Amino acid sequence: MNDPTSPWASAAEIAHAVRSGACSAAAVAEAALERVRRANPRLNAYTEVTADRARAEAAALDAARARGADLGPLVGVPFAVKNLFDVAGLPTRAGSRINRDRPPATADAALVARMNAAGAVLVGALNMGEYAYDFTGENAHDGACRNPHDPERMSGGSSSGCGAATAAGLAPVSLGSDTNGSLRVPAALCGVFSLKPTYGRLSRAGTFPFVDSLDHVGPCARGARDLALAYDALQGPDPRDHACAGRAVEPTLDRLAEGAGGLRIGLLGGWFAGNARPEARRAATAAADALGEVAEVAPVTLDAAEAGRAAAYLITNAESAAFHLDRLRTRAEDFDPDTRDRFLAGALLPAAWIVKAQRVRRWWLGQALAAFRSADVLIAAATPCPAPALGARRLTLGGAEVALRPALGLLAQPFSCIGLPVVTVPVFALGAPPLGVQLVGPPWREDLCLRVAAWLEARGIAAAHPPPAAAA
Amino acid sequence: MNWDAHIDATAALIALPVAPERRAGVARFLELAAEMAATLDRVELDDGGLDLAPVFAPPDLAGGAR
Repeated sequence: MNDPTSPWASAAEIAHAVRSGACSAAAVAEAALERVRRANPRLNAYTEVTADRARAEAAALDAARARGADLGPLVGVPFAVKNLFDVAGLPTRAGSRINRDRPPATADAALVARMNAAGAVLVGALNMGEYAYDFTGENAHDGACRNPHDPERMSGGSSSGCGAATAAGLAPVSLGSDTNGSLRVPAALCGVFSLKPTYGRLSRAGTFPFVDSLDHVGPCARGARDLALAYDALQGPDPRDHACAGRAVEPTLDRLAEGAGGLRIGLLGGWFAGNARPEARRAATAAADALGEVAEVAPVTLDAAEAGRAAAYLITNAESAAFHLDRLRTRAEDFDPDTRDRFLAGALLPAAWIVKAQRVRRWWLGQALAAFRSADVLIAAATPCPAPALGARRLTLGGAEVALRPALGLLAQPFSCIGLPVVTVPVFALGAPPLGVQLVGPPWREDLCLRVAAWLEARGIAAAHPPPAAAA
Repeated sequence: MNWDAHIDATAALIALPVAPERRAGVARFLELAAEMAATLDRVELDDGGLDLAPVFAPPDLAGGAR
């Protein structure tokens, strides 16, 4: 059991300590704020620290406990959100310069409110790639978010601050978004867990959009149990998000103990293996091999993913550019140079490409669903490689040199395009560069992904090892 | 592909200024998009599929009976 004020205390440990009176919410919040104050100049994970709000929320929780009130499952747990979530009183910058001219948000995003309702304490807003069009964690306006395992390397993006803050012990739970891999890439490169739920599972109300038809939101944490704890608190219908499916809460926390025994696991080869470097392939294989002790593991080829990824690329490019068209017309100079030309190009694509992309997206969903007839969970590397050096522009992959920015999300992109739930688990040795493995489930079966993640963690295969400097 | 001609025509159509210093970058991303479109072209789809357009689902409003 970790000291609840330590950087590595889990959300479950903190909530237990605060609920039992072993530690106050105020002490947990002060310790978290002090860590952010010390570490953020080096990592640049936070863009705003909501210290006054955190202290007020923690004090209210301690007062609630003193009078015997009901306390939520995340009582006293510090959390932070990607800065595309509305936080009352702050402009929702979404990683951009342009949005800073917007008036401050008048209310919190739905999921911020749900975290608060569960007892969690908001510590701040997190760095991200501009308008979420990013896999690197670099940002021309706020500066690069740095990888806690090696500050000279990328954190991954676009939920860069989520990966970095949670990995560095600056937020046991963080909330981010994932349109093409934006939770999974930073989780993998920073060595933490993330959950991109099924499209439509969690409310996006009060978040700044990137690609409405592909945008997901979800949590990042240092373990499967914390991921489930947060996810359970975030679920529920919300008429303010047109895509929110309105499903009743389907709790997962109590199902983690069911483990992976008897499940059918498909290890994705073919295109997925061919686009991963050896170390990334080894991470996926290590997870599959371990699962072979209790589950039926078989190779699966799903090469339609290449077309699915191409469809996701084009839909993203066109839909996001159309959304930003007025800003591109009037304020192109204020965009990050690394997103501007892509957005401009996206506004000029032939309609026939986009309609074909939507049809292929449907076809690709059919191909993926067919794979789930013989597998409960599919496994693939989350990124082709560990974190590249800051500023890198090219990546060698499969013997060819390719543009690094789109390639970092290559293996994640096909699954968000068809809305499948994916848990990313960190699979790397202590002291080695982090890598992540995707556990992909059928629609609405987040529980399966979380069960496998929890089993891999209990088995010691998946672990969010502290960064070397922090552990020393 | 002459991306300059494409940029001239389509950007004018939607009143989107593309500064001269950005043309090379925009052309590079159009080329990448064209590669993606070529990948999609290799997928043969059934004419009978009901997938020509994303389906818009009107909300089911409670108490909406007339």
